[in-house]
Amino acid sequence: MKKECIAMLLAGGQGSRLYALTSRVAKPAVPFGGKFRIIDFPLSNCANSGIDTVGVLTQYRPLELHRYIGNGQPWDLDRSDGGVHILPPYVREGGSGTWYRGTANAIYQNMDFIQQYHPDHVLVLSGDHIYKMDYAKLLRQHKKAGAACTVSVLEVPRQEASRFGILSADQTGTILEFEEKPAVPKSNLASMGIYVFRWETLRAYLTADEADGSSGHDFGGDIIPKMLAGGEKLTAFRFEGYWKDVGTIDSLWDANMDLLSVKGGVMIYDKRWPVYTRSPTRPPHVTGDKAVLSHSIVTGGCQVSGRVENSVLFHSVLVEEGAQVRYSILMPGVVVQAGARVEYAIVAEGAVIGGGAAVGAPPDGSDAWGVAVVAGGIRVAPYAVVPPGAMIQDTGKGGVQYE
Amino acid sequence: MNNLHGIIFAYETHPGLRELTAHRNTASVPYGGRYRVIDFMLSSLVNAGTDGVGLIVEAGYQSLLDHVGSGKDWDLSRKRGGLRILPPFGSPEKNGRYRGRMDALWGVFSYLNTIRQDYVVLANGDLIASLPLAELLEAHLLSGADITAVCARPHGDAGGARIPFSPNENGLTSHGPAGTAGVREYPRLEVYILSRQLLLSLTEHCAARGIFSFSGDVLGPMASALKISPWFFEGYAHRLESAQGYYACSMDLLNPAIRDSLFHPARAVKTKDRSDPSTYYGPDSRCVNSLVADGCIIEGEVSRCVLFRGVRVEKGAKVTDCILMQGSAVSAGAALKSVIADKNVLVHPGRMLMGHETYPLVIAKNTVI
Repeated sequence: MKKECIAMLLAGGQGSRLYALTSRVAKPAVPFGGKFRIIDFPLSNCANSGIDTVGVLTQYRPLELHRYIGNGQPWDLDRSDGGVHILPPYVREGGSGTWYRGTANAIYQNMDFIQQYHPDHVLVLSGDHIYKMDYAKLLRQHKKAGAACTVSVLEVPRQEASRFGILSADQTGTILEFEEKPAVPKSNLASMGIYVFRWETLRAYLTADEADGSSGHDFGGDIIPKMLAGGEKLTAFRFEGYWKDVGTIDSLWDANMDLLSVKGGVMIYDKRWPVYTRSPTRPPHVTGDKAVLSHSIVTGGCQVSGRVENSVLFHSVLVEEGAQVRYSILMPGVVVQAGARVEYAIVAEGAVIGGGAAVGAPPDGSDAWGVAVVAGGIRVAPYAVVPPGAMIQDTGKGGVQYE
Repeated sequence: MNNLHGIIFAYETHPGLRELTAHRNTASVPYGGRYRVIDFMLSSLVNAGTDGVGLIVEAGYQSLLDHVGSGKDWDLSRKRGGLRILPPFGSPEKNGRYRGRMDALWGVFSYLNTIRQDYVVLANGDLIASLPLAELLEAHLLSGADITAVCARPHGDAGGARIPFSPNENGLTSHGPAGTAGVREYPRLEVYILSRQLLLSLTEHCAARGIFSFSGDVLGPMASALKISPWFFEGYAHRLESAQGYYACSMDLLNPAIRDSLFHPARAVKTKDRSDPSTYYGPDSRCVNSLVADGCIIEGEVSRCVLFRGVRVEKGAKVTDCILMQGSAVSAGAALKSVIADKNVLVHPGRMLMGHETYPLVIAKNTVI
């Protein structure tokens, strides 16, 4: 059946800069904000924007992500016409077919999928951003402008601009120039990696790009510059609100901390634009006799008997009496035993911090300082010390005593 | 894989629950921060592998329907079997309410005829317990009883309905008349298992003779012709019948042993999914000895409470020994003690409300104070 607009969600990236956190799962499946996984944000945005057909392109470590998405029911995307579809790379006739080689190539390899819906427009999203956005508004502006492509942009501080794809636009929003990570940025309008294309035009450019052996097959690096050079009309859609790329340990930690200001961050308590999630059934959390909870979020199944400040606790976390947790993110099932101290740390699923251990430390102004990371399932031995900035992936490494 | 069907009698409204059942049946009374009473029996059935459950309702079941929906949150939205809501088939000669469980079963007799499984669990919608029903089925098959009744161990002088059993060579397997030597009465949880064949023939038998009560007739005069065995459930169980009982069994959740029994890791209690975010605790909040569901914003003081999803306790508010249901809000400077606030109750700043654990103050849904 024909759809006006369908979404293609790029979820195949490894997210290598999250290191230990993505050693076993794809970045979009990384837990975020107490109750969510990163991919909940674009999927919920689709559901809330009225986009009922979403292709999710997966490649790196897809099993947990596939299981999580399932039939799309948590996001109301379990449809008999449309709905969510998982699109891994596949083998074609004659043994051809390859892994996805770049974002544009991933869409190119799924052109047959898109064609089934005969869409007028295709929305291209990435699975590693935390934000709430009404894609219907983006689509409205795109249609009104009669653009071949509309790029969602936001203003970033000048000093950070060289980390992004930067574009310059005239007063009407028509894009004049686009530069991927420029050394000397000409503006502070950064691409958010969210594009809507007129499908017929995109199809032509994807086909041409595929034939270009020198191309990196990337939207920002190849397709957008080629469309500009080809004289297509590209417009910028100005987004206002919270948006965060959580591609690094620091930005993931920051985005979780942003959430703690109830009216800041990505506003998870705003019911007008809910973020849906597939949450395991857990009873409500319980607080003990001596529990202290301050400026923190706590999720079902947790048992807090110790002190928790400025932290994000996912479901089923146990903080024993006498344990202290500050400025940290504890993913599902983490145990912090009595007398342990966890500060400025991200502790991944199921890790156990032994009694009296110290993980991370407050910033001391030195260059070596960083958020400490304990990978999933690791047991940090009692009284062990995990220094700030350490990344504990394997039991027994790092020069400190781990079990 | 499983051979068990569930029938839940969800039509009763216990008047003792006062305001809590003004808008709902006992089966859909909110309990335990995020659940409804019926979740426990539905989940017990599903966790035993049951994939067919009939819910007998009669009147005032909008709240229950809204909660269970298609049954998808219990994996009971199926092409074959799954959850079936069984409202009465209105007929001119029957203008009263179901007079008993046999009457209700006759009312849904055509549904009973479609049951594919060989064994049927009959349960009431007012039981809060996580029952290992697969073990019940096993025990039932092993004992060769016609009907196996789930019983609690007698403790103290706890009231409630009881069922007499007399000891014989196999332990307690025969259901003897009360008053006979050696006969002891055991608290019954109103959960029974029997074969589909027996259920069908009992229902027809009773309908033909105008017998409408299960406890009064099947377990009474008819019992001598049946082999009825007890099966003892050792975990936590509470039959919800009064506001005081509701208060007590809610506070029971603050006891870790009872929590472990109700939320047994092998038998997750499933409920309607709302995708609430986590609960936020403000910088000056205090929350001790409490059970708190997701989606709350706590900035005041909370002690020995059960807070449902989306409750707000503002800075300077103090809530002690209370049960606050979904969406309730306590404003700054207000103080509540021994209060059961139904859904969406709003307490304005500075109000003081106090009940007693023997007579908790129940505030009806949507009340603004």
